[in-house]
Amino acid sequence: MNGRGAPKSERDPSQPRPPSEGWAYLSYMIGGMALYGFVGWLAARWTGWPVLFPIGMLVGLASAIALIIFRVTRS
Amino acid sequence: MSDGSVMTTASGCHIFSGCGYPAPSISDFYFKPIFTVGGIAITKPVVLAVLAAVIILTFFYVAFRKPKLVPRGTQNLGELGVLFVRDQILRQQLGRKGDKYLPFIVAIFFFVWIMNLFSLIPLIQFPATSKIAFPAGLALVVWVTYITIGIRAKGPIGYFKRMAVPEGAPWWILPLLAPVELFSNILVRPFTLAIRLFANMLSGHLLLLVFGLASWYLFSLSIGLLFSVTSFLLTIILTGLEVLITALQAFIFATLTSFYIADALETSH
Repeated sequence: MNGRGAPKSERDPSQPRPPSEGWAYLSYMIGGMALYGFVGWLAARWTGWPVLFPIGMLVGLASAIALIIFRVTRS
Repeated sequence: MSDGSVMTTASGCHIFSGCGYPAPSISDFYFKPIFTVGGIAITKPVVLAVLAAVIILTFFYVAFRKPKLVPRGTQNLGELGVLFVRDQILRQQLGRKGDKYLPFIVAIFFFVWIMNLFSLIPLIQFPATSKIAFPAGLALVVWVTYITIGIRAKGPIGYFKRMAVPEGAPWWILPLLAPVELFSNILVRPFTLAIRLFANMLSGHLLLLVFGLASWYLFSLSIGLLFSVTSFLLTIILTGLEVLITALQAFIFATLTSFYIADALETSH
């Protein structure tokens, strides 16, 4: 069960996480919103319910936050 | 300095002379071809990129042509640079096992840094990295590299499983989270890598242009002089900031590259 940023054996837990961790969180936020926002937009076009677009973005945001929480608590 | 319209309209253009502020724009990032080779127009940014490569190759060739046990002169400086990249960037992410990627990271770091630094060299004063093509090309190289390393380390299925399945997540939420994980690992990463560098260098260059032009434009024997001096002071302060940013952006680019390689290599959970 290694941390993602660096192999656990080489990372001192008392040290702060490397800056690359922060960029990974940012890419989750962008990725989640872009991906599910796009899915929501497609669904909105298809069904004719425009509310599906913002719902998709919120789902993406929620998944991104969930991913970050799992990542932080497990590493 | 660009050969856009701004510089020509700006000469002799001051406040209260019936002349509007010649605001810098995106046109200052487009250059007339210097010459053409086989139908390909060679512009200033291309020349700068080649120049950066030549500078780096020459420097490291001179530095390590006859390496001595006790380094002197250029070799000292070269070792300082390589050791900085190894200890502050590569080993922070990969540990000692990452040393075989040192040439790649050193090349990335110095290439980006020198191209950024052109922003501040008098008479050149243009960061090649503020043209999206260069960060995008570099990000593509990084992208192909870390995916290849990942596939070679774990096989295609193992690697994409690792890219798609977030660790620590319960199985029932995976259908929702796996697409986000895959999307952000495969597509968002190279995209943000390129955009971050490009946008930072573009905005930095634009800021210097705005205040540099303003200190010229506002210069007149009136209250404008006060604004001109303020603008000039800001130009100097922002130039100092840009010195920091050129190095910082190269550092971040190289750090993230080694992080992506580390992530691709890491043993599965």
